[in-house]
Amino acid sequence: MTALSLERVTHAFGGRTALDGFSLTVAPGQVTALVGLNGAGKTTALRALTGRLHPERGTVRVLGHDPSRLPRAVAARFGHVVGGPLVQPELTVTENLWCAALLHGLPRRRAAEAAHEAVDRLGLAPWRDARARALSAGNHQRLGIACATLHHPAAVVLDEPTSALNPQGVVLVRGLVRDLADRGAAVLVSSHHLDEVARVAAEVVVLHAGRDVGRLEPGDAGTGGCGGASIEQRFFAMVLDADTGRAA
Amino acid sequence: MIRAALRVEALRLRRSPAAVLAAVLLTALVPAASVGAVTLARSPHVAAPTAAKLAPYATGDLATTHLTVCAQVLGVAALIAGGFVVAAAFGRELETGTAGAFFALATPRATIALARCVVAALWLAACVVLTVLLTVALSAVATAGGGSGLWREAGRAVVCGLLGVGLSLPFAGVATLTRSRLATVGALLGVVALTQVVVLLGGGAWFPYAAPSLWAGLGGPAAAATVGAPHLLLSAAVGPAGAAAVVAGWHRLTDV
Repeated sequence: MTALSLERVTHAFGGRTALDGFSLTVAPGQVTALVGLNGAGKTTALRALTGRLHPERGTVRVLGHDPSRLPRAVAARFGHVVGGPLVQPELTVTENLWCAALLHGLPRRRAAEAAHEAVDRLGLAPWRDARARALSAGNHQRLGIACATLHHPAAVVLDEPTSALNPQGVVLVRGLVRDLADRGAAVLVSSHHLDEVARVAAEVVVLHAGRDVGRLEPGDAGTGGCGGASIEQRFFAMVLDADTGRAA
Repeated sequence: MIRAALRVEALRLRRSPAAVLAAVLLTALVPAASVGAVTLARSPHVAAPTAAKLAPYATGDLATTHLTVCAQVLGVAALIAGGFVVAAAFGRELETGTAGAFFALATPRATIALARCVVAALWLAACVVLTVLLTVALSAVATAGGGSGLWREAGRAVVCGLLGVGLSLPFAGVATLTRSRLATVGALLGVVALTQVVVLLGGGAWFPYAAPSLWAGLGGPAAAATVGAPHLLLSAAVGPAGAAAVVAGWHRLTDV
C-alpha cells in the first residue's frame, strides 16, 4: 500500500519538459526526500500530488485517490505546503491555525485545541497573537507547516520546508517530520539541503531534467568528516552521469 | 463544511483592510454626500454651474430629498465598494499563487468560494442598511423632521444599495479569471464608465448596471419612469448568477 504515488508522470510547460515519465512512491511511515537542481521538476511533481496541476500523462494518487478529486474523508487526512501556505497575513498565528484546522475538517472545539497544540509544537508561542504579516520568513514558514500538519495527516507533502529556517527551526521541523512518520504518515519533502534531508529521510530520490536518475544513501551525509560533502559529491556525479548519458 | 468555511471567511473579512475601508467609506461618505449635496443645492451662495447641476435637489421636502440623493449615490458606491472588496478577497491568493493551499482540502474550494461570496454580500448589505440609517439620522439632525416620502426613499436607497452589492459579485469571477486584482479593478471602472455612456445615450433600463441608478432618478424623472419590476429583477439576478459562476470557476480551478 502506497500513500503517495506518481506513476510515469509526464508534463511540459510550453516546449520545456518538466517531468519525463517520472515515478515515485511513498509508503505509510516513510519519509522520502526529493532532491534536484532548480528546474529539475520537483515542484511540478509536488503540484501534481496536491491536485493543482493535471499532468499530461501518467497517474497520480494520494491515499489511493486522484488528488484533484479527493473525497472529503480522504482530504481530511492529507496535508501539504507547496509554494504559499494556508496562511492569511491579516490573521494572527492562533487565528490562522484555527482557520486551517476548521478547513481541514476538525470540529470547532477540537480546532481550537489543535491550534494551541500546534503553536507549542512549532515553537510559535511568543508570536501566538502576532499577525502573520509581521512574522519573520522563518516563523512564517513554521506557521505554514503547522497549518498543514496540525490535523495529524496520513500523507504529507512539503516543498522546501526548511529553506527559511534557522538551526532551531530546522530541528523543530525535523522532529515534526519524524513524529509524523512515527505515527504512520507518508511524508514527501523536497529540498536543496542534501545533508538535512539525509538526516530525516529514509530514501533520497534524485530528480534531474524531469527524470529519476537514482537514489542517494542517507547514511552518506556524515561520512568524509565534512558534514554532507560525500552526499553532495554523489549527487553531482549522478547529475553529471545523467547529462552525459543523455548527450551520448 | 459550509459552516466551517463561513466561520473562516467571516473572520478573514473582518480583518480585511479592503472590507474595513469599504465599510468606513460607505457609512461616512454617502450620508455626508447626500446631506451635503442638498445643502449646497439650496444654498444662495453656491456658484451657478454647481447650482445648475444640483437643481433637481433644490426643491421638495428636505429630508426626502436627502434620501433620494442617498439612493442615487449608494447604487454606484455599493457597486464600487463591493468590487474592491471581492477583487481583494478573490484576487490576492490567485495573483500570488497562495490559492494552491486551498487544493486537496477537506473543505472544497467551491465551498470556500461560496462562503466568501455570501460573507462579502452580507457584510456589504449590512453596510448599505447602516448607511441609509445614518443618512436618515443625519437628515433628522439637519431638518425638523421628514415628510411623508422619507421612508419610501429610504427603502429605495436600501434596494439600490443591495442591487449594487449584487452587481459587484461578478467581479469575483473577473478576479478568478484574470488572477489579478488590478485587472479586476480595471474591469470594475470600465463597467462603471460604460454604464455612464449607456445612460447618456438614453438607454439603460435593460442594462442591469444602469437600472438601479435610473430607478433612483439619476437620469431624471422620465428615465426613472421607464424602469419597472422586470428591469430591477434582471439587475437582482446578476448577483446570484455571478456567485454561481465564481463557485463553478473555483471548482474547476487548475494550474495554480
